[in-house]
Amino acid sequence: MTSATRPRVPIKPGYFTVPDDPSQPPKLLATKCNACGEHYFPRRAICARAACLSEDVTDVEIGPRGTLYSYTFVHMPLFGSSNLEHMDGYGVGQVDFPEGPRVQLPLAGKKDDFHIGQTLEAELDKMREDGNSDVVIVRFRPVESSK
Amino acid sequence: MKDVAVLGVGMYRFGMGDAPNAVMAREAGMMALRDAGLSFRDVNAAYVGHIFASVMTGVRVMKEFGLTGIPVQRIENASATGSAAFREACLQVAAGHYDVVMVLGFDKMTTMIQQSTQGTAPENMEDSILPAGFFALWATRRMHERGMKAEHLAKIAAKNWNNGALNPMAQRQSTEPTTVERVMKSRMVAWPLTTMMSCPMGDGAACAIVGRADLAKKLRPERPVVRVVASDLQSEKYVPGHIFMGPVVGAPQMTIDTSQKVYNEAGVGPQDLDLVQVHDAFVIEELEYYELLGLCKPGEAEACIERGDFELHGRVPVSTDGGLIARGHPGGPTGLAQIWETTLQLRGEAGKRQVKDARIGLCHMMGGGSVCVIHILQRE
Repeated sequence: MTSATRPRVPIKPGYFTVPDDPSQPPKLLATKCNACGEHYFPRRAICARAACLSEDVTDVEIGPRGTLYSYTFVHMPLFGSSNLEHMDGYGVGQVDFPEGPRVQLPLAGKKDDFHIGQTLEAELDKMREDGNSDVVIVRFRPVESSK
Repeated sequence: MKDVAVLGVGMYRFGMGDAPNAVMAREAGMMALRDAGLSFRDVNAAYVGHIFASVMTGVRVMKEFGLTGIPVQRIENASATGSAAFREACLQVAAGHYDVVMVLGFDKMTTMIQQSTQGTAPENMEDSILPAGFFALWATRRMHERGMKAEHLAKIAAKNWNNGALNPMAQRQSTEPTTVERVMKSRMVAWPLTTMMSCPMGDGAACAIVGRADLAKKLRPERPVVRVVASDLQSEKYVPGHIFMGPVVGAPQMTIDTSQKVYNEAGVGPQDLDLVQVHDAFVIEELEYYELLGLCKPGEAEACIERGDFELHGRVPVSTDGGLIARGHPGGPTGLAQIWETTLQLRGEAGKRQVKDARIGLCHMMGGGSVCVIHILQRE
């Protein structure tokens, strides 16, 4: 990991963890409703279920693994990225987490690497540099054994 | 909705022009006033719809028509901006607050893109992803669940391009017939969506004059009255799996619920519709809306496309003016372009793309994947 020596900062704070150990996958910052048990990503202050709307919620971390619900490959550079890998395009997926939330974020790999139902794991992906830091986004990579 | 009619409609052709908002909006507005047989002096209130222009643009643009002191309000609801503004005008007339209301939509999406380095806010994770990518996710899932092929999407796109070629206000007016092969060969944007399966960037304006239905007959005794018989706008109800970050593509229940509401209000069902306009920013949406609006049963869209059910002279023509794909989608005016098309069709004034004996039309728009607006128009 060449980026291990440079500090990593999230593209937007409050959405995912940036582990100190670069070999560890990030987790998503989510919310659990203590009244009804529903989980949400990103975090929120009030449960969204019409029958609940409780303000009694707790910050939790979910992931790093989920299941691919749908995917595509976009043939345009990833907006806001100066990473050469993103110039030819990027995958996008909807990933279902065991706790409930479905999230849509970039995928690592090419179109033929993806199939619905496979297991993916979160990783941090460098978008650009900011001074001495690397600005990172969270994305999902297919777990080899699930193919 | 009681006793509300579309008195007049006007458009400034959608496209990559260089006319400022004020010019496009003035031309569309004056066309609508002339169409209604009214002067701006007769307008009691105005709702303006624009997504991209800066604060107060709506009020400033309205000064083009004259400074008569009327209330002017801006409405914004992403792609559904024009439709949402139209709904406010209808509600006001139905409530008896006003007799004649101008609904004016305009936008310069081309300027918005030029002003931003990448068309996005770099601090938002979801803005890193091209909108087509989100809609493509819907298409991939459909392929998995229902065996849809890219050719089904291409057939919808070809239909809309060919309808657009018959519409003088359409942005894309291909001089040669568009085939499935040509659509499939166009550049891939987000698999399986190609450029010809996606709406273009563009500018434009559109206007509708809404008023008391009895005025319609008085002003234009020679032509049929087009009534607004139902209107609804809904946001989403939470369901597990709801996506909070990025546009919510899918949101199927919202279109089902909103359409049920307008069918009930109008006292009609999907089988009664003579023509339909939908939010076909990407063709997969149009396919899904066939089922969600009840134009066919769930799982039957592909077979209906193969049969040509939604072609201009099919069972129930959809996107008769070319839809967002070919007529264009500048933003604010898009929903009003649907009203323009449906009004002309119901009057029998739609020229080469006229649907025979059209009596009832439905206009459906989505805003940011998170609101749904539907109107039903009916010829008296």
